[in-house]
Amino acid sequence: MDRKELEAQVIKLVAISYKKNESDLSVDTSFKEDLGGASVQMVALVAEIENELDACLMLADASACATIKDLVDLVEEEL
Amino acid sequence: MNLLDQLYEKAKQNPQKVAFPEPGNEKMMQAAYETGRDGYIIPILLGNADEIKALARERGYDESVFTIIDINEETYKNQLIEKYVALPGSLLKAKALNRRMANPLYYAMVMQAVDEADVTFAGIDNTTGDVLLAGQMIIGLKPGISTISSIGLCDIPGFEGSEGSLLAVGDSAVCTNPTAEQLASIAISACDTVKSLLDWEPRCAMVCYSTLGSGQGELIDKVLEGLKIANELRPDLAIDGEFQFDAAISPDVAAKKVNRESKVAGKANVIIWPDLNVGNVGVKLIQQFGHANAYGPMLQGFNKVVCDCSRGAPVSEIKGNVVISAVRAAGQKK
Repeated sequence: MDRKELEAQVIKLVAISYKKNESDLSVDTSFKEDLGGASVQMVALVAEIENELDACLMLADASACATIKDLVDLVEEEL
Repeated sequence: MNLLDQLYEKAKQNPQKVAFPEPGNEKMMQAAYETGRDGYIIPILLGNADEIKALARERGYDESVFTIIDINEETYKNQLIEKYVALPGSLLKAKALNRRMANPLYYAMVMQAVDEADVTFAGIDNTTGDVLLAGQMIIGLKPGISTISSIGLCDIPGFEGSEGSLLAVGDSAVCTNPTAEQLASIAISACDTVKSLLDWEPRCAMVCYSTLGSGQGELIDKVLEGLKIANELRPDLAIDGEFQFDAAISPDVAAKKVNRESKVAGKANVIIWPDLNVGNVGVKLIQQFGHANAYGPMLQGFNKVVCDCSRGAPVSEIKGNVVISAVRAAGQKK
């Protein structure tokens, strides 16, 4: 999977977990400012990434991501 | 009979299945063994079965007290996975779950999720973060609850409150700077916890430095918003505020400061702190000046009872927390 495909996949999973429209999200979307989600949603996202991308992330690492781009970087490291 | 003795008696009347994912730890196995041998719980030990049996023999324990689950045995594991992925709202699919279940902590929680165990009891080898993540991923949060939190139970000599010397307080351990929504979750969970553990009719006060508008500011606004959310979500519960601590627990002070009807003012049995600074300092004050015994922290907000015990806890404390968790689990089934 190349970087663009991975970004699209991660954006799709973020949209599912945070109940947002995929079209409203980009790699620059900020978890804190734009999504304002609680840890519950991040747990759901970590589980989705594990299910769909086979990347087992630590919640602490995922929670430390400021933007979707940071999360894509993290997933890329794990793959 | 003190509180803990009463809870031991209560546990014995309806022993619950408690899953221990860290049986290699000597203190944990001793606590599991003694509470199991004496009939308070049914202990389930998870890990490598041969290693657990060898350790039990070495430590002089009667193996028949334990149910030992070998996490590498495929047939039972696959049955659990099949049941778990069929549950509504389960987050992990079979492949990811199978991988996670190589860790006994996750295995224990899957057993609990599918009703093969009533409590998961961990925290000696796993960190609090490990337990909280596994709990959120496998057990999940109760509907309407937005955060995991905790309460402690204080037994304060000389205190004559609405439950005698007992007072439940939270959150003093988990949720650092709760939002209004999280404050509401803490209050609701605390009410459910004391109901399941102690059969109390909860009277829950949300405290801060103001009583019904005597002070103003954003710190109070957050408490008021939390109260509003809690009342909307659970109108069946007596949750009230904003009160100062004395107006919450003292009938005399409440009579002076609370000039309206309240089921809670002056007779609160559950106190919700506005944040962890207050909670931590508050509990230390109760312990130091009130010479109180504090039980907990008990994790709350999960769909089922998950216990994260302190790594430095002695066996007696671990046993107390095992029994408290078992009583809560039995209470939640009512």
